[in-house]
Amino acid sequence: MKSYLDLVPISAKVHRKQNCMSIICIVLAVFLVTAIFGMADMFIRGQILQAQQEQGNWHIGIRNISDEDANLIACRPDVATAADYGVLNYRGEQGYTLSGKNVVICGSDESAVTEIFTSLDIGTFPANENEALVTNNAKNMLNLEIGEQIVITMPDGSEISYTISGFINNTVGLMSKDSYGVCLTTESFRVIYPDGTSSNPADYTMRLLKFKSTRNIQSNIAVIKQQFGLSDEQVSENTELLGLLGQSRNSFMLQVYAVAVILFILVLVAGVLMITSSMNSNVAQRTEFFGMVRCIGTTPKQVMRLVRKEALNWCRFAIPLGVVGGIVLVWVLCFILRQLSPEFFGGMPAFSISYPSVIAGIVVGLLTVLLAARSPAKKASKVSPLAVVSGNANDLQPVKKAANTKFFKIETSLGIHHAKASKKNFILMIGSFSVSIILFLAFSVTIDFMNHTLTPLQPWTADISVISPENTCSVKAEYIEELWQNSAVKNAYGRMFAYNVPVIVNGEEKVVDLISYEDMQFDWAKDYLLSGSLEKAQSENNTGLIVFDSQNNIEAGNVITLNLNGSQADLEIVGVVSQCPFNNSPGVGKLICSEDTFRKLTGETDYTIIDIQLSKNATENDVRDIHSLVGSQYTFSDERMGNSNTRGAYYCFGLFIYGFLVLIALITLFNIINSIAMSVAAKMKQYGVFRAIGLSNRQLAKMIVAEASTYAITGIICGSVLGIVCNKILFSKLITYHWGDAWSVPLVELGIIIVVVAIAVILAVRNPIRKMKETSIVDTISAS
Amino acid sequence: MEILKVQKLCKTYGTGAVKVDALKDVSFSLEKGEFVAVVGESGSGKSTLLNCIGALDVPTSGVITMDGNNLFTMKEEERTIFRRRNIGFIFQSFQLVSELTVEQNIVFPLLLDYRKPKTSDVEEILELLGLTDRRNHLPSQLSGGQQQRVAIGRALITKPKLILADEPTGNLDSKNSQDVIDLLTKASRHYQQTILMITHNNSLTSMVDRVLRVIDGVLTDLGGNANEKLS
Repeated sequence: MKSYLDLVPISAKVHRKQNCMSIICIVLAVFLVTAIFGMADMFIRGQILQAQQEQGNWHIGIRNISDEDANLIACRPDVATAADYGVLNYRGEQGYTLSGKNVVICGSDESAVTEIFTSLDIGTFPANENEALVTNNAKNMLNLEIGEQIVITMPDGSEISYTISGFINNTVGLMSKDSYGVCLTTESFRVIYPDGTSSNPADYTMRLLKFKSTRNIQSNIAVIKQQFGLSDEQVSENTELLGLLGQSRNSFMLQVYAVAVILFILVLVAGVLMITSSMNSNVAQRTEFFGMVRCIGTTPKQVMRLVRKEALNWCRFAIPLGVVGGIVLVWVLCFILRQLSPEFFGGMPAFSISYPSVIAGIVVGLLTVLLAARSPAKKASKVSPLAVVSGNANDLQPVKKAANTKFFKIETSLGIHHAKASKKNFILMIGSFSVSIILFLAFSVTIDFMNHTLTPLQPWTADISVISPENTCSVKAEYIEELWQNSAVKNAYGRMFAYNVPVIVNGEEKVVDLISYEDMQFDWAKDYLLSGSLEKAQSENNTGLIVFDSQNNIEAGNVITLNLNGSQADLEIVGVVSQCPFNNSPGVGKLICSEDTFRKLTGETDYTIIDIQLSKNATENDVRDIHSLVGSQYTFSDERMGNSNTRGAYYCFGLFIYGFLVLIALITLFNIINSIAMSVAAKMKQYGVFRAIGLSNRQLAKMIVAEASTYAITGIICGSVLGIVCNKILFSKLITYHWGDAWSVPLVELGIIIVVVAIAVILAVRNPIRKMKETSIVDTISAS
Repeated sequence: MEILKVQKLCKTYGTGAVKVDALKDVSFSLEKGEFVAVVGESGSGKSTLLNCIGALDVPTSGVITMDGNNLFTMKEEERTIFRRRNIGFIFQSFQLVSELTVEQNIVFPLLLDYRKPKTSDVEEILELLGLTDRRNHLPSQLSGGQQQRVAIGRALITKPKLILADEPTGNLDSKNSQDVIDLLTKASRHYQQTILMITHNNSLTSMVDRVLRVIDGVLTDLGGNANEKLS
């Protein structure tokens, strides 16, 4: 031994069991923070992958720039990829067609196809102005092969033919709008661009840039703008991707990290509470030791140093263990994500390490220990040397109020009293129980939010929609029956729309869209019924449902007078639903009625849209068959890709949210187990005396259960009340305001967290009771 | 009438090189109402003997019968209940329940047995111990001597057949020590209770009926009139 501090590792060896609890607390805190940050990082990485696939892997786009400047920018050392990119007929309004169907034409450099959009499926980039890449949907529908010719009809009726050099992947937009896509070289794009001249190419193409480093993109942009005299209008950012990379002012990633930071602070607080209580109990059990070292000349400052060194010594094992645990958990979650949505997250590395999470874990480990060690260190330094001399070292804290033994049996009374004896400890315990419950109940609102915002999990989401191009009731109703007979079709249902119908309600003139539902859609609307009756709307003529709108005051019971094709008809509102799957123009209400009512009111018989849900084993050929059944006079909107994108986002978001909820539940579980174990450990000697006097093991168990239950019940009451209040506030802000759903007590969530608390209490008391039973009374009394 | 019978009691701690024989073939018996002191050096095995008799510790071999009941053939739960009804403990460091008042501490063993304490019994003990005016005080509000008197009261309340006292005066000054011994003697005479007391204080053995000496785990009965024999 060279220094008195060398006592720390020696003492650690002797008190291995006592220190174990404190080490577990640190491991837990570090693990939770590493996992939280790792999950946030994983969430963002997932979103980046998705954004790169959907929007393209570019950072900024520059318009109206000369070729010379564009080439100079491309040569900059910080630019990884630069490519020209331009699009014609993006919204299908410019009249370019391929085999009678709208075609979106893009012109780009090879690097745009291979590096930025990574869309090349097979073949090669066009080698000359006569070649083109074609999207896979055109390949399938028109049975195209590489080397074949395609003919694009221009808006003026002229035709240009190209040789197919390869095929590119479909995009969500193309599939949804039932359009084809063709990719040309920049040069041939310039040739067909209306009024385009090769001397002024920048009017119609954008130079996309991808930087080598994703750091300091904003300063790179500023430098480029300054050097080339570019205005803000000329430079556009891929805001979603930059946001995710933390390189945008309106940063989504910063919001996610803000959530992680809040949780970081909460875990830090929980960690400090856990470790403080564990160290306090550790110090309390060694009062005699501290008294002894004070006796032989150690100063209070040295005692404090000893305790702090001891705590930091634990970090050597605890921090790496916690960090590794957190990393492994994130790996597991990434694995789950890859399995759930391989098309999006397949690119996620299997064993990557999130450095922010590792740093956060280490920081939280050290911070909690240093913060937590303050109070026990002070406590230890205040132990009087007299404590040893007088033999009162192990006396418990002086009690101010006697236990009430009137209402319960003695062991229960004492258990309750133990819980309440120290006000500070009682408040701390209830606080830590409550914080977990409040967190859980508050955070659970995000699940409702997610379910409202991400729609693919809605039961009515269609894989394919057959839409009337003019939004009239022109899609033949008999298709429904034919589609039902197709084994690849799981569900098929139609809707009729009458747009912008003038109505009078409560004396006010308004405009509504009238929509028809059949039985299946009425059934799906059940979950969204805010008031009234769906059955009435379904079965009775001239009745309908109104979709909630915060700007609208139409209620169940109101009668609406519709003005349809010059004639007036009354429709009674028999219910209000919170939402329906269609968007409308601002200020236009949504009115839902049965097909019979719709037909009676409008005289229409066919649908505006037929939605088709495919069965799981439906193939591309099945989709092609359906397409040929309905023909090409309708817009055949294939939403499968879009749905799959949103599903990917849902999994990512869902894993993030549910992951946090699980972590909160885990914090609750471990915190309770640890707190109760600590509380019992601190009273071991007292329990020994009780047993010597005649307390049976059963009575002892009852005493410990009574103590734990006092914490749990009070914590549950406080936590539930405050948690429900938080839940209500968040619900009204996030859900009721947007969708009108009425708040109700979150019984399921409340039940889950109460069960977690109950399990934690059962687990928490089991071990100490078993241990006490196994320990002889003599050993317990002499335990120090 | 024989209350306690100890036969060939052995207690061994550890094995091999660290094996310690704390008690070696200890045999003796105690009569009803007898006040017996156990003396011996530190580490001689006195406390081990007391712990075994009090069923706090399990002997390696031998038999302890109390009022005809073999303590170690009983199940744990049964033994605990037997102990709280028949054996009273007094510890050197009092070991009172800090959150219970004087009166609650005294009736604690009865409460553990789910029995309602008789007011007259409690009053009598408080009177005997001189603690009537302190009945609602907490242990932290009492002096060491008063705390030990509460501990004695707690040992007396169930009217046990045997009271085991492990150096009950070890933490007290001479005046308080004498008071405690007087009390124990009084109790022994008054309630006809058998008391087995460990002590280091030779002067206290003058008050007892019999003295047992433990040296290296071996017990020797020194008989009565201890002071003469001890000297």
